[in-house]
Amino acid sequence: MEQEALTFRNVSAGYKQRRVLDNVSFTVREGEFVSLIGPNGCGKSTLLKTAAALLKPLSGTVELFGQDVQRIKPAVRASLLGVVPQKIESPMAFTVSQIVMNGRISSMGRWGNPSSLDHDLVERSMIYTDVLGLRDRFFTELSGGEQQRVALAMVLAQEPKIIMLDESISHLDINHRQEVLQILMNLNREKRMTILLVSHDLTLSAGISDRFLLMEAGTLAKAGTPAEVLEPELLSRVYNCDLTVQQDPYTGFLQVSGAIESLRRRGKLERSVHVIAGGGSGIELYRRLLIEGYEVTTGVLNRLDSDAEAARALNIPVVLEQPFSPVGADAIAKAMEMISSADAVVLSQVPFGSGNLVNLQLAEAAIQRGKMVLLAAGIGERDYTEGKAAVDVAARLKRAGALNWNSIHELMAHLQQQPHH
Amino acid sequence: MGMKGSPICADNRFFGKGKVKVKATWRVVLFFAIFPLLLALSLLLGPSGIGIPDLQSPSGSAILSLRLSRLLMGMMTGAALSASGVVFQALLRNPLAEPYVLGVSGGAGLGATLIILAGSGVLATLSLPVVAFVSAVLTLMVVYGIASQGSSGQPSVYSLILSGVIVSSICSSVIMFLVSTASVEGMHNVIWWMLGSLQPVTAGQQLLSAALILGGLAGIWLLSPRLNALALGREMAHYQGLHADFVIVVGLLFATLLAATAVSLSGMIGFVGLIVPHVMRAMFGPDHRKLVPLAALGGGTFLVLCDAVARTLLAPIEIPVGVVTALAGGPFFLIILQRRMKQAWIA
Repeated sequence: MEQEALTFRNVSAGYKQRRVLDNVSFTVREGEFVSLIGPNGCGKSTLLKTAAALLKPLSGTVELFGQDVQRIKPAVRASLLGVVPQKIESPMAFTVSQIVMNGRISSMGRWGNPSSLDHDLVERSMIYTDVLGLRDRFFTELSGGEQQRVALAMVLAQEPKIIMLDESISHLDINHRQEVLQILMNLNREKRMTILLVSHDLTLSAGISDRFLLMEAGTLAKAGTPAEVLEPELLSRVYNCDLTVQQDPYTGFLQVSGAIESLRRRGKLERSVHVIAGGGSGIELYRRLLIEGYEVTTGVLNRLDSDAEAARALNIPVVLEQPFSPVGADAIAKAMEMISSADAVVLSQVPFGSGNLVNLQLAEAAIQRGKMVLLAAGIGERDYTEGKAAVDVAARLKRAGALNWNSIHELMAHLQQQPHH
Repeated sequence: MGMKGSPICADNRFFGKGKVKVKATWRVVLFFAIFPLLLALSLLLGPSGIGIPDLQSPSGSAILSLRLSRLLMGMMTGAALSASGVVFQALLRNPLAEPYVLGVSGGAGLGATLIILAGSGVLATLSLPVVAFVSAVLTLMVVYGIASQGSSGQPSVYSLILSGVIVSSICSSVIMFLVSTASVEGMHNVIWWMLGSLQPVTAGQQLLSAALILGGLAGIWLLSPRLNALALGREMAHYQGLHADFVIVVGLLFATLLAATAVSLSGMIGFVGLIVPHVMRAMFGPDHRKLVPLAALGGGTFLVLCDAVARTLLAPIEIPVGVVTALAGGPFFLIILQRRMKQAWIA
């Protein structure tokens, strides 16, 4: 068994107001090539910052080669772990070789005098990453891809045992991306350097990684071999869109792609959905339904509701009622009209109280007219009516054939299965 | 600050062998040839006449010793202000940063005003740099505290500069208020000091200030390799194994010590802390291991020359040296910046 290079034990981390990582545990062993994947904002960068002791965990511990990373001296930490960030910026006109020399900063003496070893390491790193020809150019004048290679050279000059790259290769052209990955793979194979690569290119990562860590909303959704993690169902749920995984018949590599039909250029669907929402719970539904090409109507909404504002802004036909007053007969009739011409009725995760219970009754009327009704799951926790009236209506809806949805992905799947009217 | 055999010059390999690097090295050599000449030139200028004073006569040797002591005052003040500006610009990664913008000079000025108004005497003059430093640090803490409000963790450079400018103008308002309510003699002392001049102070204060400034410069020079790493930001410096926050705090303290001592010594002399670092960076590049000593020498020499002009031009009237730094130095520096800005900042 290889030594543990990086270990997270029940780590929660984040910022003052916002917890980003929630009880994450995993181990990366020495010499492994691991890809960290997950949708935007799921906490990948926070995980890297916590691993590098830039952020202190709120609870739990992070260990680098068996030592608590918070207790390792900075200079020692830099000799164990190098981080290539998404982007480095220097407001001053440093040359490329001056920037790369920064990688030796914690190994140099008090006076910051590079030794001949330091010069050799800098030179070698620049040759490796193909930036030697740029050595006297100003770093700030380089293109994004060139800057990324300089950043990698700087971190290589650090001679760390683990390198973590935060989406660092996404700006590279295809030639240099292959090259950088090849460099990383060589370091991994020959020097047993451990690599943790944050990546959005699942197919590319599948070909080169020993293991995947899949993150979802601050938690570790799955850790395992590429084949174990690249499950279409799992990926589609985490990324909240339709994804397929195929094995290349020649190379055996796994290929992840968006389902072709979901990307196809298409005309209007000629299908309409009425959304029952409120309190901001409808905005994401409007957005996704419009992107998918549905006609959307919504209501009844309070005039001051944020969903009402969103509907107005998106040009969605909406039935409004005055604030602080019960829903009147007029509004009910108008909403019923909209529902009659819709193919399906979607209920958002809106809380129900005595004021908007009538919306749930509208859904009941819809299902009686043979409309498809899709109900956000877990209404029990959002029922603030007396005597749990909303739960009762929901139960009746379910008996009459309404479907529950847990994620927007699932909701879209339900809508697509509906036969065309 | 002898440069021969110093770690900075010993490291010629850092410059490489490219044409550009050779030019840069020549520029350093030229600089070291010229600045002693400029200092010597300043000894020839004064209200009593241009040229070497007659050293045989007692008045002549008195004049020379007066000019020498103003040279020392100028070197200390200019070096302190300029090196302080280098550090503020590096730590904030912003070309606008300098002791005035962050409220450091304003705070030091307020502390110094209180001492000057409180009275004269040996104790007062000796406590001047200390009180100026303490009040400058307090001001910096207030600025940092205000800027941190509402941000999670580190305040942004923009909110730091904004709150620095505001706190700075509050400080000068309080100084104005104190001056307007002061006795005639106190008012005279403060205003004379505030205009900025290199009139020699008591020997005790000069010695103390020299010790503080030399200490501050040495501290900053020790930090200088780390300032290079911090130019890529706090996060990157942390990844490269620096105690990034420690370096930032120590750097700010040293820079504040320098600026406050300069203010307590020579009053509110603007311009040096902002412009000299820019020019030196444009001439010699942003590597702080070279930049810190070069900026200190450059700032000192510049201020000494400006002072020589200030006391000679309208003799026997003496122009405040701050006026000369801006009027004479401004256009000269603008030309250099315009030509060589690319070598200093991305702008």
